[in-house]
Amino acid sequence: MWQFQWMVGLIPDEMLSLIYWIIIAAGITGLIAGWLGKWVPFYGKYAGVLKPIGIILLALGVWLRGGYDTEMAWRDKVNKLEEQVKVAEEKANNKTVEIQKVIVEKTKVIREKGKTQIQYVDRVVTQDKEVIKFIENCPIPRVIIEEHNKATIPPESVKELNKAAESKK
Amino acid sequence: MKLYPVVLVLLLTGCIGTAPVKQKWPEAPQTLTEKCEDLKKIEGDSVAITEMLKVVIHNYTLYYECSTKVEGWKEWYNEQKKIYESVK
Repeated sequence: MWQFQWMVGLIPDEMLSLIYWIIIAAGITGLIAGWLGKWVPFYGKYAGVLKPIGIILLALGVWLRGGYDTEMAWRDKVNKLEEQVKVAEEKANNKTVEIQKVIVEKTKVIREKGKTQIQYVDRVVTQDKEVIKFIENCPIPRVIIEEHNKATIPPESVKELNKAAESKK
Repeated sequence: MKLYPVVLVLLLTGCIGTAPVKQKWPEAPQTLTEKCEDLKKIEGDSVAITEMLKVVIHNYTLYYECSTKVEGWKEWYNEQKKIYESVK
């Protein structure tokens, strides 16, 4: 089938349309000639042959013409869709770049804030008399540090789920 | 008469087809695909409260960084979905 389509594809569209119309016209002519031929002397014996040929040509012409119109409608649809997809992909890329920029900027601000706050602790808080007194007299109990560190580790079940997800990649 | 449905089906076969156009789902921004950093632990046996405070500040910063990524994912997905579905 594809060989036929490939061969048909080599013929220009306008030419194809004309060929299909000629086949339809030939079919109709054959049908009419077959019907009228009965009353024409000497010609009547050919009328029986012309009628089935006319029917076949007409059916073929209508089928080919229908296929051609459908093909044209699909091509039009495909062109419109391709255009839409192109615009959508461009929009999607622009949006991705835009979001990326916002995230980079937000992350920068957040890191900057954290850094500034730590610098403030080093520069001001550690110099505070009350804090110095507290540091000298009240060391943080080991258990508090341990509990804090425990809280930084995700639960075992979550770790296993993460591992499983990683191995699936 | 019995052949009419067959002829009709044959004539309509030319109308069957699907548009060979595929829309690609975009790649996510690289920043979003980076893993969130692990939280920092307090190191050492004898730790001053200011050192502990600095670790806490660092961890809060990590939380905000990560939550920015999650919000970014949500926004990116919703926007891309809207764009993807606009093609019909």
